[in-house]
Amino acid sequence: MNLINSIKKDFNTMTWVLIPVAIAINIVIGQFVVLLKLPVFLDSIGTVLVAVIAGPWAGALTGTLSNIIWGLLIDPNAFPWFPVALLIGFVAGWCAIAGLFKSWWRVVIAGFLIAITAALASTPIAVYLYGGITASGSSFITAFLIQTGRDMVSAVLSTNFLVEPVDKIATALLAFAILEGLSSRYLARFPRSENVAVAKGGRTTQLIVAVLVTVFLVALYALVFVRLIS
Amino acid sequence: MRDRLSFYILRESPIHRMNPLTKLTLVFSLILLAFLGPVEWLAILLFTTVILPLSFLAHVGREFLSATARLLLPVIGFLFVMQSIFLPGGGTALVQVWVLDITLENVNIAFVNATRILTMISSFLLLLLTTHPSALMSDLARRGVPGPISYTVTSTLQILPQMQVKAATIMDAQRARGLETQGNLMKRIRALLPLVAPLVFGSLVDVEERAIAIEARAFNSPRQKTSLVEIDDRPIDRRIRWGLILVVIFLLGSRLWLK
Repeated sequence: MNLINSIKKDFNTMTWVLIPVAIAINIVIGQFVVLLKLPVFLDSIGTVLVAVIAGPWAGALTGTLSNIIWGLLIDPNAFPWFPVALLIGFVAGWCAIAGLFKSWWRVVIAGFLIAITAALASTPIAVYLYGGITASGSSFITAFLIQTGRDMVSAVLSTNFLVEPVDKIATALLAFAILEGLSSRYLARFPRSENVAVAKGGRTTQLIVAVLVTVFLVALYALVFVRLIS
Repeated sequence: MRDRLSFYILRESPIHRMNPLTKLTLVFSLILLAFLGPVEWLAILLFTTVILPLSFLAHVGREFLSATARLLLPVIGFLFVMQSIFLPGGGTALVQVWVLDITLENVNIAFVNATRILTMISSFLLLLLTTHPSALMSDLARRGVPGPISYTVTSTLQILPQMQVKAATIMDAQRARGLETQGNLMKRIRALLPLVAPLVFGSLVDVEERAIAIEARAFNSPRQKTSLVEIDDRPIDRRIRWGLILVVIFLLGSRLWLK
């Protein structure tokens, strides 16, 4: 009963009203990115936003509904991928509870963890529903890896591990930038406003640290990745 | 940014009159059968003998075909070609392209996968063309889906067009100030923030007002709410739903039995 009560506490009226706006943010920013022809998706900024200030369950719900509405209105191809969006919201919420949305460099780590989740979650859908090679551009990488003698699951997984981090780290950073821009009076109306401690001052140092963490993570990641591939 | 939101087309037809839940049951039955049915070619059979005729019965045949061609053919065409060429294994080579063999077995697998996706997405498309999203949500709310969830979906349907208008305005305004939305990657990345920030902060400010407004209208009241729009659920709908469930159980059971 404790769990149900704590979930209920996350869903106050502000949360319920924020969720539709967050879904609309997901979709509209997704369309901006298409217009600007950027090589990322950035279609879960709203989901991460809700997850941070209203908890993992609200984040998971936002992700799920976001995909359903994307399917209802724009492209039914979005439906099968809803578990990925669900887990992105859920994991982002736990990252926030663990205190990863309190400074720029921690947000990079949160984005990285979200990326790993997304990569793991989309693999079974791609393999069992779409037969491994899906309709996205990154399938060329999958196809290449299969030709080098890799089995299907590991080829799809490697492809996802390759493409997700950039997108999800950028998503987490943008969501945090938005949160930093909101007043603390506004944030205080949400159930988990304590997840964002906006540290004032020393922003340049913070940003430099964030960049260093990104570089370090990417380098480490590339190293592990190359080791696994070869 | 988009000419038309939602796929729904208002027409008079037996499919339009059907209860939304019945159509939803139909969609999930078709998906289950296409992916888990006893034979692999069931997916293409379902598309040609069930989904396509139903779309014409619903008087949305033309729209169904054009939406399928626009949204689905590129996806499944790409999938079919890529899988035919790049899947490993297979014995009987049909054609050789560069270093790759296109084998009969792989073309077969690619075809099955492509038709399954076709059946899955096109059955959703049929539902969307004949059912208004808010009709679906209010029917589901009446059957026990929590009220706030259906509020969230219907409210998004209202907010989204407004926000897209706002987004287009911001885009135009920033371009008029000299924001470059074309050019190299760095320029395009730098263009993202001036577009996103006004849009996001503007719409987040509205959240607080809307929360107060719906709280004043008993949003949090635990009592059963009445609905302005009543959605029919005729006895025949109930019979169709049970019929579909039986068909699915029978065909999935026959698969287990055949093994």
